[in-house]
Amino acid sequence: MERLDILKIFDNKLIDQINKITLDEIEYWDLRVGITKGTTIEFTNQKSKEISNYEINKCGLRTFINGGWGFYVLNEINKDVILMAFKQAISLAKFSKSLTKTNFNIKKRDPLEKNYKIHEKNNLLSTGIEEKIQIVKDHERKASEFSNKIKNTKTIYTDGSSSELFLNSFGSNIYLEIPILRLFSLVYAKDDGIIQRAINSVGGLGGFEILQTDKARNLSRKSAEEAVNLLNAKSPVGGKFTVIMDPKLTGTFVHEAFGHAVEADHVLGEESILLDKISQKIAMEDVTIVDDPRMGQGKRFNLPYELFGSYFIDSEGILSQETVIVEDGILKNYLHSLETASRMNVEPNGHGRATSPSLRPQARMGITVLKPGNWSLEEMIKDTKNGILCEDFQYGYTDTTTGNFQFKCKNSYRIENGEKKELMRDVALSGMTLETLNRITALGKELSYSDGMCGKGGQSVRVCDGGPYIRVDNVTVGGLS
Amino acid sequence: MENQFDIHKIANLCFNLINNSNYDAKASEIYYNKVNYKKVEIEENSIKNNEMGSHYGISIRVINKSGSLGFAYTNNLKDISINKMVNNALKLMNSGTSDPDFLNLPNEPKDYPKVNGLFDKEIHNLQLEEFLDHANQLIDLCKKEKKAISQSAKLSSISSKTLIMNSNGIDAEIEETSCSVNSNMIVKDRISGERSFGYDWQAVRYFSELDSFEVGKNALDDALTNLHRKKIESKSLPIILSPKATINFILDPIASAIDGESFQYNRSFLVGMRGKKIGSDLLNIKDNALVDGAIGSAPFDSEGVPGKNKIIVSKGKLLENGLLHNSYTAGKEGVSSTGNGFRGSYKSLPSINPTNLILEPGNHNIDEMIGEIKEGIFIGYTGDRPNISTGDFSGLIMHGNLIKNGEILDPLNETMFGINLLDLFKRIEAISKEFKILGSYKAPYIKIKEMRIIGSENR
Repeated sequence: MERLDILKIFDNKLIDQINKITLDEIEYWDLRVGITKGTTIEFTNQKSKEISNYEINKCGLRTFINGGWGFYVLNEINKDVILMAFKQAISLAKFSKSLTKTNFNIKKRDPLEKNYKIHEKNNLLSTGIEEKIQIVKDHERKASEFSNKIKNTKTIYTDGSSSELFLNSFGSNIYLEIPILRLFSLVYAKDDGIIQRAINSVGGLGGFEILQTDKARNLSRKSAEEAVNLLNAKSPVGGKFTVIMDPKLTGTFVHEAFGHAVEADHVLGEESILLDKISQKIAMEDVTIVDDPRMGQGKRFNLPYELFGSYFIDSEGILSQETVIVEDGILKNYLHSLETASRMNVEPNGHGRATSPSLRPQARMGITVLKPGNWSLEEMIKDTKNGILCEDFQYGYTDTTTGNFQFKCKNSYRIENGEKKELMRDVALSGMTLETLNRITALGKELSYSDGMCGKGGQSVRVCDGGPYIRVDNVTVGGLS
Repeated sequence: MENQFDIHKIANLCFNLINNSNYDAKASEIYYNKVNYKKVEIEENSIKNNEMGSHYGISIRVINKSGSLGFAYTNNLKDISINKMVNNALKLMNSGTSDPDFLNLPNEPKDYPKVNGLFDKEIHNLQLEEFLDHANQLIDLCKKEKKAISQSAKLSSISSKTLIMNSNGIDAEIEETSCSVNSNMIVKDRISGERSFGYDWQAVRYFSELDSFEVGKNALDDALTNLHRKKIESKSLPIILSPKATINFILDPIASAIDGESFQYNRSFLVGMRGKKIGSDLLNIKDNALVDGAIGSAPFDSEGVPGKNKIIVSKGKLLENGLLHNSYTAGKEGVSSTGNGFRGSYKSLPSINPTNLILEPGNHNIDEMIGEIKEGIFIGYTGDRPNISTGDFSGLIMHGNLIKNGEILDPLNETMFGINLLDLFKRIEAISKEFKILGSYKAPYIKIKEMRIIGSENR
């Protein structure tokens, strides 16, 4: 695979020079470089607000010695600057080492020398701007024409094609070409002084074909329909209810309420409710949760592209792999970066991720999923006396030290005596993660997922999460009355 | 240590390329921004990472006669990349839709207001080692408290330079500094095993103003006062908002709701309320870009428009001209920009942000405000945000305590709230004279007559 010209300076000679500078000074180094070219198109009320184009270079180099890290970020990709930056980064690591109380070593690993590329049926860089604009215009029109109650529409198209290089002191030399595309739709509807909004998005790794699925084609129409329906929704009454979560909300629960607690940096920092819980029963027996960010999963959902949260290697050069987090209710593994794996004396499992080469990797999730059971949604509703069916989320967050989570749902329906009733809006759910995992009374049969950006420590990375419909007893629901 | 370049020369190259192109640009603008930063990170109450670096880049905005906009940016400042960027922006300009509301880019102002104290030489020349005293203060605080088990914290400094030039004569340049500290403390009750976190932060313009000890102490107190949490029953109760909660419940929602764009697209619950009462007589809010040495201060915004001191809410009334504008939303409404067109970096177009958002302190004493409450709730903060288009706000009290007979008592477990913001603004009964400056916010304690509280204690 031909490497981008600008990356050709990272030849064996430069790598030898880096090794010479760092030898006897530090234990480990890695270097990441990325060159990204992309487009953003934003329309509001069928008018263009932003049509932009960019080319951004990023480079970060990390140094390590006995528990102390150094990190140096630079804008310019040239040999002399990089060698000088390494000298600086070495003194940063030594400074950290002289101060840190958490000393540890990174075990030497086999080098990985490989090139990776994502297949694009319709290459993003060679797709014309007019074609991209036309798609956005079509979505704007479809949303606006849906109803005369639609008052405001917004559609954002973003794409980026990155060429990335990863080098480290083990001799790894990995080159990647990753195209990403995402489309957002935001629609506001208004009637009788009431304003409601709905947001939807679709995203993936691949070419322009990502926009050619039914889900993508109907994106803005779906937002419009949801916003109009919400106009007639009622405000919820607060209290305790049995809640049925749809796959998107199940995914949010698995990611926000549970998943952050298995990120091993939170465990080492004693912030996690799952500290010292490996091999213990933490959930109902039929609960199994895995994180598997490997490529090739789009096919499972009949998608002609890779899932948004997928990656070949993490930002520390470790191959992505399937990690069983919970099996039959028993906690099996945490998600590790190179550092947390070294300190907890396990093999790293490919979860050291950073937003870009200019930011430091942290322990992060990839594609996190709760495995399905055998209930149908109809059976679940029929079997529920006094409950709420909650679909999709607006946002959610969790206090990791206590496990108290809070989600704001998009669409929610009352369930009375086994029947689905009226629509409610802005239902806020709250609960304690471990209690909730032990109060799941039904797992649906069908798995579905959603994609998004997950924020932690000022960085956001691509993720997917999902699961089936699940039913949970005794959940606190907030309301205005 | 990186290669030096002359940014004025690059900007002029851009303008020349536009003038000599086949495209008919009505107005054009160059925005350049460079940031040098240093950072010390504490994890598990021990220094873990030392970091430094720089980011810079340039963007170009061009509009044509019909109001269509092209935008492009790069951080590769070689001539060939600059050429490509300019050509891309011009090409994109002609691909957009016409927009008669996009009148022009801002014109050259008569002069810029003088705002002092935005640049500190000490920060500009700071060595990472100078953060050590601060880091050690934070670490010691955590070590000395028996119940504290861990801390993550960050100290950072930024020195930046910004240049804005446009074809209408704007040529504005500024050098600024800031530094910040945040601390996240984890505590544990050794007997029950219950854990809790607490946090605090500070952002200032001068290194000498950085008070890491105070921030660490506040974070620790926040964590300790949240131990032994109790569930309560649902009921409506009087509320005291802490300064952080005042930001959550009043300042942040107001900032989103008076954004000229939200308003023009009818996305704000305050649409139709201009010139009308939106809250209690006690409520006074302004957005002041001209406070010497304040984090949110700016002699000009990211479009080169002069900063101002604007009254937003006066005695509970939202002023007729109480909106925040950039040059686009202002032009659309036929008024002048309020100087609130800000960008996160060269990579984004100007959106609308407040500068220093100030809720005027009142004349009550906070201890008396709490002392007068028989039964109520002290809200520390929430992680939730309201629905800005309806003003409905329900969510989780992340940190909060029960108030009984004038005393702050047990912290709350799994307790939620629900209210419409217009009701909340109306129910403001008292505002303290004590206040906190948190970044670009100035926020006092506020008493709300009553709010619906949803507890999770089963009955």
